[in-house]
Amino acid sequence: MARPMKRALGETPAAWAFVLPATLLILGLSLLPMVWSLLLSFTDSDLVTSGRWVGMDNYERLLDDPAFRQSIRNTLIFTALYVPGSAGLGLLIAMALNRPRTKLIGIYRTCVIVPFVVSPAATGVLFAFICDARFGVANRILSAFGIPRQGFLEDPNTALYTLTGIGLWGGTGFCVIIFLAALQDIPPSLVEAARIDGAGRWNIFRHVTLPSVRPVTTFVVIWQSLVAMQLFDLVYATTRGGPLGSTAVVVYFIYNQAFKVFDAGYGAAAAYVLAVVLLALGGVRYLLTRARRRFA
Amino acid sequence: MKIGIGSATACAAVLAGALLSGCSGDDGGVSADGTVRIVFWHGQTQIAQKALDGLVAEFNRTHPKIKVVSQSGGSTADQLLPKVTAALVSGSYPDISYIYGSDLASIARNRKVADLTSAVQAPGVDWNDFWPAARAAATVDGRVRAIPALTDNLAVIYNKKLFAEQKVAPPKPGWSWDDFRATAKALTDPSKGTYGTAWPIADGEDVTWRLWPLVWQQGGDIVTPDRRRSRFAGPEGVRGLTVWRDMSVADKSVYLDQDSAGARMGQLFNNGKMGMFVAGPWALADIGPAKIDYAVAPLPGFNGDNTTIGGPDNWVVMDKGSERRKAATEFLLWLTRPAQDLRWDLATGQLPLRASASRHPSYAAYQARWKLDVWIDNLPKMRTRPTLRAYPKLSQAVQEAIAAVLLGKMEPGPALDRAAKAADSALATEE
Repeated sequence: MARPMKRALGETPAAWAFVLPATLLILGLSLLPMVWSLLLSFTDSDLVTSGRWVGMDNYERLLDDPAFRQSIRNTLIFTALYVPGSAGLGLLIAMALNRPRTKLIGIYRTCVIVPFVVSPAATGVLFAFICDARFGVANRILSAFGIPRQGFLEDPNTALYTLTGIGLWGGTGFCVIIFLAALQDIPPSLVEAARIDGAGRWNIFRHVTLPSVRPVTTFVVIWQSLVAMQLFDLVYATTRGGPLGSTAVVVYFIYNQAFKVFDAGYGAAAAYVLAVVLLALGGVRYLLTRARRRFA
Repeated sequence: MKIGIGSATACAAVLAGALLSGCSGDDGGVSADGTVRIVFWHGQTQIAQKALDGLVAEFNRTHPKIKVVSQSGGSTADQLLPKVTAALVSGSYPDISYIYGSDLASIARNRKVADLTSAVQAPGVDWNDFWPAARAAATVDGRVRAIPALTDNLAVIYNKKLFAEQKVAPPKPGWSWDDFRATAKALTDPSKGTYGTAWPIADGEDVTWRLWPLVWQQGGDIVTPDRRRSRFAGPEGVRGLTVWRDMSVADKSVYLDQDSAGARMGQLFNNGKMGMFVAGPWALADIGPAKIDYAVAPLPGFNGDNTTIGGPDNWVVMDKGSERRKAATEFLLWLTRPAQDLRWDLATGQLPLRASASRHPSYAAYQARWKLDVWIDNLPKMRTRPTLRAYPKLSQAVQEAIAAVLLGKMEPGPALDRAAKAADSALATEE
């Protein structure tokens, strides 16, 4: 009896005892819900009753649902603005902060990181006050400069862009941390050598700094894309998808279907569409890393 | 927008949490000495929570065989729904939960939600003492599936000082929507930043239910009598929404509240910047401390009909075995008896659930102090929304239509037609 048992458990049966709790946690907390929600997406369940099997119906409904299309468009616009914005701003700020001899540099660095530490819900509430179209500080400042009042989050034409701005305020700090770490890894001798060879500021940036932070940039871009596509909390705290659906992003669409109009199966299908896109993004990152290793 | 897998998994996390807590199981709730322990999710905060905890403590003292464990449910009432649905999936649901009136029909499809029809017919309960609209809102397909937890209705709270300043005559009994429009216009003064009135347009049923009285007052309805198709996009709905479109787009007398919880219009009123606030007595909790000199008028009407809407919410019992179901039902029927109802109303400012409580001598002084007469008069005759499973979808479609019209992006007719199409396809799935 003992022998086949041992064969099944491998050379070090005790190892299984160590791995088991973590394995169960991972299976129970991520794999199980994933499988369960996949099954859910093939039913018309409302979470209250078990629902009927409807096959691909939910996915077909998604294809010609204008609300879903609008949420995808909003998410893409947000991502297209947020990712380059936060990465570019992040690099600029990181370069400005990468001067250890500046006075009070610790305070500047802290100031830049703080918005990133604030919870998105608090950020949302804060900016809802600032951007209030009638009583907010933002419009008072604008009118002091003679610029007409803006609707900000209350105007369907500007809401998504205002939201992107708020997102950048909260999300750039992360890019700064990563870029700052990367910048500090650049050997000073490289910069010095470039300077001796007669390179100006721009050429040092172009030929020393940028190539050094390229791997990190790939990571930042993909990471921020994942974050942008999963935007939810900020929308929930400020506009709840309005006005007129102009800030309804994909995750908000999913939340709405599953938990507000009792269409959990449909929401799960939308969640799976998003998951596939995110997985593909993760795959791109994996391929890029592998390619780099091969050519390095 | 944080490090970590973030928010796309938010929904999955709720579900995963539900699965996880499902594994923990529950303790049966009946101890060796026969005491039944029941869990009560009330979703109340602050004053209401304190008042409720006092009542629960008294119940536990006077009913030694039952122990009610009172919990907020980890959330306020308006966000309890996702928790309850997740809890129902996992099996770790409470014995009693607060449920919004508009969500009852959907929740009641679950067989764990107890049928209380025979319980409320028991002697001593006096079911007909509850207001008709509250009884209707607790009834799904002819079966009583909940006990009323709250009744309120819409009336017009107005700022007397602002009326005097703008030299506007206060509302007269039996006033019409045309009077309302003219009054709102006269109160609006961009130079002072004052508005005539407001409508929330951001999110939820609070956007939608304000339209229904205008439909009913003209003889229209939300759905057809057989509940198979929507009716709100008929001429009554269009005329009702047109009044508000004209006020919002042409007169600019309506503050469109885009706050996610619709809280800014209340602040506007409390700052003396809004003349007429269409609301229930819940608004008084903030108006009192703001020291606004207010009076209350009935909702305006069409053709002399001033019907208003009540938005009753409910307590539902979820079955965890017959002992616990019985105990939970007993607790709720105790909690809503006239004596307890009265104490609850006096502590929280909510309207009586029962006609007898509203007639109690000790209520009269309270009613006069807070000027509750209009709302109390509305209670026996107010109407309420149908308990339909498709209602949340219908409500959302109408909400989008109202927002589009009040923002001046669509005409009332086409906007309501589009909403009706969405509502009809939701109603078609109703069994």
